[in-house]
Amino acid sequence: MMTTDYNQSRFAACWVQGFLAVLLATCPANSTPAQDTLDDEHAARKVEVEKLFRKDVTRFIKTYCIDCHQNRRPTEAGVNFSPALNTPTHPAFTEQWKRAAARVKAHDMPPEGLDQPSDEERQMFVQWQKKIKFLSPKDPGPFIIRRLTKSEYGNTLQDLFGVDPEIAAALPDEVSGEGYLNSLSPLQLEQYLAIADKVLDQVWPVGEMPSGEVIDRLIGQKIDPGNRKALATAKIAGSLARTMYRRPASEQEIATLLRVHELGRENKLAVEDAFRLMVKATLVSPQFLFITPAEQPDRDAKIVRLDDYQLASRLSYFLWATMPDAELMRLASEGKLHERDTLRGQVTRMLASPKSRALFDGFGAQWLGLDDWRERAFDQDKFPQMNDALRRAMYDEARLLFEDVMRGDLSVATFIDCDFTFVNQPLAEVYSMDDITGQAMQKVTLTNQNRGGILAMPAVLAATSFPNRTSPVNRGVWVLEQVLGEHVPPAPPDVPALKVQDETATENLTMRELTELHRSDPVCANCHRLLDPIGFGLENFDAIGRWRDSDDNGATIDASGVLPDGSRFSTPAELKAMVSGRLDDFARNLAEKMLAYALCRALEGYDEIVVDEMTERVAADGYQMQTLITEVVTSYPFTHRRIQDER
Amino acid sequence: MIRSQMIDRRTCLRGLGAALALPLLDVMGWQETKAAQAYKPPVRLGFMYMPHGVIMDQFWPTDAERFLDSPPPAVESLKPVLDQCLMMKGISGVPTAPFNGAPHALELSTWLTATLPDPAKRSEINIAISADQIAANYVGAMTPLPSLELATMPQNWKENQAGLNEGYYSHCSYRSPTQVVPAETNPRNVLARLFNQKDSGSAAVSGGASPLDRNLLDLVLGGARDLRRKLPSSDQRKLDEYLDSVRSVERRIAAIEQRQKQAAMEKAGLRRDHKGADSPPIEIKIPDGDKRSEYMQVMCDLNVLAFQTDMTRVSTYIGSRPNGANYPELGFSDQHHSQTHHGGDKTKMDKVAKIVAFNIEQFAHMVKKMRSLKEADGTLLDNCIMMWGSGLEDGDKHSRENLPFIVAGGGGGSLKTGRYLPDVKGNQGDLLTTLLSCAGIPIDRPVGIATKQIEAIKASTG
Repeated sequence: MMTTDYNQSRFAACWVQGFLAVLLATCPANSTPAQDTLDDEHAARKVEVEKLFRKDVTRFIKTYCIDCHQNRRPTEAGVNFSPALNTPTHPAFTEQWKRAAARVKAHDMPPEGLDQPSDEERQMFVQWQKKIKFLSPKDPGPFIIRRLTKSEYGNTLQDLFGVDPEIAAALPDEVSGEGYLNSLSPLQLEQYLAIADKVLDQVWPVGEMPSGEVIDRLIGQKIDPGNRKALATAKIAGSLARTMYRRPASEQEIATLLRVHELGRENKLAVEDAFRLMVKATLVSPQFLFITPAEQPDRDAKIVRLDDYQLASRLSYFLWATMPDAELMRLASEGKLHERDTLRGQVTRMLASPKSRALFDGFGAQWLGLDDWRERAFDQDKFPQMNDALRRAMYDEARLLFEDVMRGDLSVATFIDCDFTFVNQPLAEVYSMDDITGQAMQKVTLTNQNRGGILAMPAVLAATSFPNRTSPVNRGVWVLEQVLGEHVPPAPPDVPALKVQDETATENLTMRELTELHRSDPVCANCHRLLDPIGFGLENFDAIGRWRDSDDNGATIDASGVLPDGSRFSTPAELKAMVSGRLDDFARNLAEKMLAYALCRALEGYDEIVVDEMTERVAADGYQMQTLITEVVTSYPFTHRRIQDER
Repeated sequence: MIRSQMIDRRTCLRGLGAALALPLLDVMGWQETKAAQAYKPPVRLGFMYMPHGVIMDQFWPTDAERFLDSPPPAVESLKPVLDQCLMMKGISGVPTAPFNGAPHALELSTWLTATLPDPAKRSEINIAISADQIAANYVGAMTPLPSLELATMPQNWKENQAGLNEGYYSHCSYRSPTQVVPAETNPRNVLARLFNQKDSGSAAVSGGASPLDRNLLDLVLGGARDLRRKLPSSDQRKLDEYLDSVRSVERRIAAIEQRQKQAAMEKAGLRRDHKGADSPPIEIKIPDGDKRSEYMQVMCDLNVLAFQTDMTRVSTYIGSRPNGANYPELGFSDQHHSQTHHGGDKTKMDKVAKIVAFNIEQFAHMVKKMRSLKEADGTLLDNCIMMWGSGLEDGDKHSRENLPFIVAGGGGGSLKTGRYLPDVKGNQGDLLTTLLSCAGIPIDRPVGIATKQIEAIKASTG
């Protein structure tokens, strides 16, 4: 069996090679090496940063770091600068530079008692970490064909067959976007087979044709089920493959499907069932399960533009988490999709569709820390109202704000502060609003300036709390990392949280006093004087986001705080105003996180320059959300791929 | 041949609600025969995990001599089977540098690999094949499932420590350095997969009922190879995971067909069944609620059933994942992780101790059940090697000098159990290598950082 098949494929392969040669000759656009040379400004920065590294940075490390953190075993805290001095841009050290800068900035390193750098030196070292990117060559970053995620796979089946996406429920849950595993195991393949059967059993009775609707979607044309002769097999195989593979199929791919059809006929299947078998074959084929290129790149090319079909899928799975629709496929076939204006127009069109909710469920929820919202536990004795209905309302509130900003093309500043939100009756109770009735979410105007925006939103406030109480530290970390895009060094492993000498004395402390104990310990103090004040600023919100003036023990909440730079605030509204003052940092962080989500990988090297440029253009355009999303989908790493070929 | 004890197959799956046809159970043939004596059952290897370490003075035995009579509080639940358990102190974890900022991302990822992720490719998965998959590569071909991977919670915890890929956080099984093996979390799907039932939305392959599926897969595989030739080499490697998975499913279908043939021959009296004295397959009750103990016990039962019916010989059960887990059943809502940073606080330490004892209780449930089942002239447990453990010793300090492990089972006579070894010198790679060797897996190279085997736990030298 296998042998026969192999020979057949080889035979087909010879034939197809000729076909491909023609294809390549006639479609040069995507095989042309893209511009991967640096512009002058970047080149000049590179020279400057190299100089900075050789002189100031090297001296800094040799003076303050290398005595402890050098080539020896065991390395001090796992940090070794000896090799990093030779190859500062090696990916192995990216994280080390980030953490080093964060610790030096927080005055956490060098440790007390050792020579301390001047403030200017510290500043230089922190700035250096942000400049490393200029040493990177222009490069779209690592790229490997990607498997559809569980939700993308379910949605695609829905689009094709009209089945409930939950039909894919048995597949393992996975992290989407940055950190996506993109791995395939036998378990998943078995499930793909089982789900294919299940889908077909639902929509395609054995011995019959499925509904005209399904046929129309699969092969893009109406067929009279009564007229068997209308079924020209080869033509149908081609149309089917184009739909299922989301790009034109190669002759070889069509030939494979025809062999499946033959297999069905040899096994005495009726014509209808032989087609059904062909559809099943596409459902378990890698061309369906992965996003694959339509064209084979030039052998010598190192960086190429994605072909328009690959771009259509990338765009569609990013914004909709499902397959490209007819319009995207048409633009791809016309070779127009990659044009900037076309992409911008498609972003607007696609965001207007209800399918763009997927961008919140995939990206927005993850960004706000709500991706595990359904599994999150709350102390049922303390918060009996946190039932499924209220949880859903809290999640929907965040989603509706996100969608409003996205579809209304509002400024991203709306996320930090705005005077409206979405509630239903159970959620209105959390806000102490008493004039809202019904389960339907409705837009309401907020008059209380402490409310409005993601910082003062119940779902986020609850997600950054423990099941039974608030956590000023978690909230502080959340604001710094998720809102402002800073790197907070992890707590040192051997220093337990809140070490207290006299236990009885702590019982009467407020959460604030308890948390402030961090700052009596010099090991903790440097970082916590950054984190804790922000968390205190939100202490008026309890662990499910209700307003409170006093804590569990009846002590009055003190929401005032001073940041290391001396700025002060005393209410959530003032804290929000301070964060709004850092709109550029916020926009950059949002752009960075969204780009990583869109690329399904961590950002590195040249990507950082891309994010800088994106942020500048977003700022220049009034920080509008659709501009930001357009910047992501027109960015160099989104539209190009590196060919990592070691042949 | 005497057929005396045919069990109503439906009774073994009471509680499923629906009556299910289980053609494969024909294979089991648990009726009495005299051939049983000559039969030597295979050794099975299982791993069960709990994150965040233990409360040390509750876990480590104080006196090796009195281990069996007065075990430490954490392992009290194992008391009835302690004579078939081994505890050992002195097994160190993989040194964590340069990932000192990633204590929890390293817990599971290093647990069965005894290897650190590649620092230069930390945002991708790049580690090493894990011990369970090494075993599955060797014995997996003999059973319908090469290995069984189970987990209590979904493996999608999104937390990035020291730039390490999020997947490291919740996965311990790696088929290759770059290929993660995900786990099943739904007991219904596991049951359906073990016994190959369709129409549950789970991963049941058409068990030989349709040879068409195998032919179909052959053609699809050919098409995938065509595609592979057109792709750059990095994409080719990704596609290799697909090709490998297809081949694995084909092997599985073949194994199922083989079993059905055997069953048919036994039925026709052409072949004698060797498992005569074995206990009938255990009953699986899938709980309706979401009580953690019931859920974990049904997963443990499924593991027992899979071993008992020789559906697989290798299993991994991630009983709980690092972070995001709490135990309302124990009377408190605090998260496991937050309590492990107790800083000596009695209340928190008590909670952690309860969580640890709870996890070991579920392991004990599994091991005890194995011991209650007859197999050949002994029990199922006699032929198993079940390892329970954690990726940290002290969750408060993230220390890994003495990782907590409990090994249960006779390993087909390869282990000398009923002992506490207070001063074993070795690392987690050494332990994994030793257990593989005891399970009869030929090892061409050590697991991860291993440099030797821990002879002290073996029967031959003990």
